[in-house]
Amino acid sequence: MPALRELQLEFTAALFNEPCASVNSWIREDGIPAAERVDLYRNNLREGFIKALAVGFPVIERLTGTDYFRQLAREFQQQHPSRAGNLHHIGEPFAPFLRARFAGSQYEYFADVAALEWAHQCALIAPDAQALTADAFSGVAAADYENLVFDLHPACRFVDASCPVVRIWRANQPETQSDELIDLAAAADKVLVLRTSECVEFHRLPAARFALLSALASGARLGVALEHAQLLEGEFDPGDALRQLLELNLLVGLRVSAPST
Amino acid sequence: MSGATLRTGIGLRAIHHEEVIARSPDVGWFEAHSENYFGRGGMPRRYLAQVRERYPVSLHGVGLSMGSTDPLDEIHLGEVVQLAREIEPLFVSEHLSWGSAGGRFTNDLLPLPHTEEALQHMVDRVSQVQDAIGRPMLIENVSSYVQFTHSQIDEWEFLAALAQKSGCYLLLDVNNVYVSAMNHGFDPLRFLNGIPRDSVREMHLAGHSVHRIGEREIRIDTHDGPVCDEVWALYAAALERFGSVPTLIEWDSCIPSLDELAAEARKADQRQEPLHARAA
Repeated sequence: MPALRELQLEFTAALFNEPCASVNSWIREDGIPAAERVDLYRNNLREGFIKALAVGFPVIERLTGTDYFRQLAREFQQQHPSRAGNLHHIGEPFAPFLRARFAGSQYEYFADVAALEWAHQCALIAPDAQALTADAFSGVAAADYENLVFDLHPACRFVDASCPVVRIWRANQPETQSDELIDLAAAADKVLVLRTSECVEFHRLPAARFALLSALASGARLGVALEHAQLLEGEFDPGDALRQLLELNLLVGLRVSAPST
Repeated sequence: MSGATLRTGIGLRAIHHEEVIARSPDVGWFEAHSENYFGRGGMPRRYLAQVRERYPVSLHGVGLSMGSTDPLDEIHLGEVVQLAREIEPLFVSEHLSWGSAGGRFTNDLLPLPHTEEALQHMVDRVSQVQDAIGRPMLIENVSSYVQFTHSQIDEWEFLAALAQKSGCYLLLDVNNVYVSAMNHGFDPLRFLNGIPRDSVREMHLAGHSVHRIGEREIRIDTHDGPVCDEVWALYAAALERFGSVPTLIEWDSCIPSLDELAAEARKADQRQEPLHARAA
């Protein structure tokens, strides 16, 4: 008689298609072979994962078609099985998986679409936070501006795509009746993803503004983030970008960081 | 008990969030899958709070993997505790099952062997969760497609002992009793009669599907259709034994309209009416 621990480890291994001969001997057959009984649970594991992935990535499912999506989901599950009781997390490695899977092919854009859908999922469930107003800047001395560090709203995400990913996403919503042909080589979208009180929104940003805001989001000082932006646009002025942060209620924290030596 | 006159509820599903808030459908309560509302804010959580302003809500976990011999996931449990604090649910429930081992998750409700070891393990786990949430929880029986050769205790005795030793109550899933009874060849009434009358605080009703393997039929708990006649009949027997306890329609695959779900819930209400008439 197996201990509970042994039974669970072996049963799990069997569901993940690893050889474990002992499991079948622990199961009452009663007219149905043990292997076929285990298969029912193996099927649940596969179908549950595919279904959960499809809920998070409906545009990828629509682009690939249901049958091919199932095949991709099975490959993906073999490389990235669920690691928690809450299935939300399973989508996190999906965009990198698709990037590697379709590198150099005409389907490279799938990875950008998946990155946008993952950002959408994260934005939906991110914590709430109180946005600052322009008053937050009132006490900042002019000399300290370059050392300002910002906290952006937790729902705020940045997606740096190589294709017009927002147009692809919009053309593939259930309510959209579109036969639009999208030129994948058209201008690539640099997307700010955010959550309003109503919904998740995508804002396409000019490259320099995207460089500034995404650098700020990752904790860079304003002076350093500005250098990133000015590499792309020599005369870039951060004023409009900072005003946009305030208008979109994305700025939730602000402090002067000690200058690096 | 206080919930005795609560009309039948339905599961809360994301596709119905906005409609539930806009229309307040005529059902008694909602049950939310806890995991769908984890986090510290965000839109699903806001919908749940709005639904809670209008209805009683219970929190039904599907991912805590309580029967697993891996350590209980403290982060997952912490989310349940926080959610329960905010929502003030009618019940907090989970399953007599496991879903993970060695850090790998199947995200399924796998059956335990019915042994003294598994019973003691579940008693410890239920106690751990109850200590964290600060109230008794409800444990649900699952549908199963395997039985282990070394099981020594009948499932109903296992559940009764778990309730008695841990102080938890039971969520009797009538469909799961029927599915497991047909799959394993026991009389579902034996199951009901083996459960103490005062331990059942909630009942689930759901649809299931029938598959063939060779010459044998096997029933799968799919939640993708209406409740079948045999399960309605078993529900009537359960009402006789356990009285009128809060009941829920689970239909979370091929999800129909809110009106169809409410109509299915009314069928359960109608079956409770004779009990209410008798009590009056």
